[in-house]
Amino acid sequence: MQPPVLELVDLKKNIKNKEIIRGINLTLGPAEILGFLGPNGAGKTTTIRMIVGLIRPTAGSVKICGYSIADDFIRAMSNVGCIIESPEMYKFLSGMENLRQLSNMDKRITRQRVDEVVELVGLQKRIEDKVSTYSLGMRQRLGIAQALLCRPKLLILDEPVNGLDPAGITEFRNLIRRLAHEEEMAIFVSSHLLSEAQLMCDQVAIIRQGSIVKTATVKDILNTETVEWRLDNPVKAARLLKEKWGIEALRENGNTITAAVGENRLELINQVFVNEGIELRYSIPRQNTLEDMFLDLTEGDEIA
Amino acid sequence: MLRLIENEVFKIIFKKRLLIVFGILLVLITAFAYGQDNSLNRTKARLAGRIGITASTDWKKLCEQQIIDLKNRLESPYGHEEDKPATRVRIEQLQYYLENNINPLDSSAAKFTTQFMEQSIFLFLPLLIIILAGDIVSGEAANGTIKLILTRNIPRWKVLLSKLAALLMLEIIVLLMAAVISAAVSGVFFGYGGWTAPVATGFRVIGDRLETLGVVNVPQWQYALMVYGLAYFVSIVVGTVSFMISVLVKSTSASIGVMMSALIGGNFLSHFMSDWKITRYLFMVNLRLTDYLAGSFQPVAGINMAFSVTVLSVWAVAALAISFVYFMRQDILV
Ligand SMILES: Nc1ncnc2c1ncn2[C@@H]1O[C@H](COP(=O)(O)OP(=O)(O)O)[C@@H](O)[C@H]1O
Ligand SMILES: [Mg+2]
Repeated sequence: MQPPVLELVDLKKNIKNKEIIRGINLTLGPAEILGFLGPNGAGKTTTIRMIVGLIRPTAGSVKICGYSIADDFIRAMSNVGCIIESPEMYKFLSGMENLRQLSNMDKRITRQRVDEVVELVGLQKRIEDKVSTYSLGMRQRLGIAQALLCRPKLLILDEPVNGLDPAGITEFRNLIRRLAHEEEMAIFVSSHLLSEAQLMCDQVAIIRQGSIVKTATVKDILNTETVEWRLDNPVKAARLLKEKWGIEALRENGNTITAAVGENRLELINQVFVNEGIELRYSIPRQNTLEDMFLDLTEGDEIA
Repeated sequence: MLRLIENEVFKIIFKKRLLIVFGILLVLITAFAYGQDNSLNRTKARLAGRIGITASTDWKKLCEQQIIDLKNRLESPYGHEEDKPATRVRIEQLQYYLENNINPLDSSAAKFTTQFMEQSIFLFLPLLIIILAGDIVSGEAANGTIKLILTRNIPRWKVLLSKLAALLMLEIIVLLMAAVISAAVSGVFFGYGGWTAPVATGFRVIGDRLETLGVVNVPQWQYALMVYGLAYFVSIVVGTVSFMISVLVKSTSASIGVMMSALIGGNFLSHFMSDWKITRYLFMVNLRLTDYLAGSFQPVAGINMAFSVTVLSVWAVAALAISFVYFMRQDILV
């Protein structure tokens, strides 16, 4: 069996005696897009730096296509393209000269390939200009071009949509999905923009203060519906939900409660409420978004 | 590996570092040559005033007179045996001037090119090397591109080695630039000749005496080659030390600042604290290697060519070891 493209086992990192990453486990297979979500300072960039060997884990291991980054750096990194934080390039060189520099570092990259990625990210017109004249969006494109040069099996992008305009974001999203589906690339995207991840990723891992607090497929998240009721006796309704279906309800305010239920059960529940003498004003199914879940999970972090 | 070195050279050239070095060299050498021309003219005028117009314009007579004096001294039964080689060398030189119709007071492109490097080797040349080397690693950390080159399928030591190789190559180019600009500019003032004129070398320091038994004349071009060879050695040492600072420090200005103050501070130390023994192990006080060629120089008693070369080599090796070990283990957090 083929090893996963990326495998993190109990990855930990202390910086200056502070635990920054507290044991992360993850696997990612070919053609999968993983959104690595977390608020600022959660440890996304630190994790990525460990994956690509820029910093040494305090404990745990990173394997890329089965090769350990610590013991087999060259073979592991032969399969990786990445952007870490902002896509820094040599500003005093042109975009093309930057790519040539990097293609010089890897025998597999031909001139043809360089032209190919330039076209892929749509930079043909400005590629001979100095990077210092590029907008942030163009630098992002050049950063992606750079990461794609070696036809990586694993593409790692750290907050890639920062600085892109809405049209650029859509274009970027399409490119990412295409790379995953057509070239079977595994893609690891970190972001604090959840709405983005929801549109782009197949799975998400939510990181908070150095630990992964939830992993889920986007499909599952979207399928869990929440329902909001307004009724005259919320205490009784909540008790019924708990007794009959084992559903935890949330008292929002006054006469409103919400709970996550499967769509198909809603009519049944409403029937029971009415039979039990609860006066029902309305019930509305609300599509859950990643944003809600994320806010629930990471609430209060930014202040602390 | 070659392609990696090519990358590094390309970057340094595009950052216009070499251009800056070229500009500084051009300005300084022109000023130097102009100044020397001026002071030569003044010396001649002074001599003329003292000895009389005829004697100074007719320098040949002066030379002939000197030769006769020296020959007498050689044949004198009271002369010291040890002084004789130096005297013979001096006679040879004077005879060469006469035969080739060269006024020994005059300078030449060849002489100037040599002297310029002799004067530059302990401060000016190192400063140029620092400009070149100061940001070779710290520059990549400062602008974040270090992440770009350390996330390729290339081991870190290869990245660092290619930078070192590029530096060592560019140092040769700096020395070539210095030589060519010196010769070209000074030739305008002093004429382009003088390459075969004899220069005395081969002095040795034994104990606290200048030993002159081995003194011989070599042609100026050969002497110049020796001077520039030593200058390259000095460049390698200063280059590797600033290379190390560049690895250890994350900002270019800090890296260049540290090296400059070390260099200038070291030169001060050797002036004011020459009896403080530990200063002799600093690399900055051992840079005047060319002065040993002319037998004129002992910055601190007991220091000689072999000592200086050893101290400098130890510094270079230690700097390289520290650079590589640190660079291999370092967490890249920029
Ligand atoms: N060089 C460093 N020294 C000390 N702490 C650091 C350093 N870099 C990052 N951190 C800490 O590590 C935590 C995670 O940072 P980071 O991985 O950059 O977060 P994210 O990318 O998720 O925004 C933060 O709390 C930050 O303060
Ligand atoms: Mg980050």
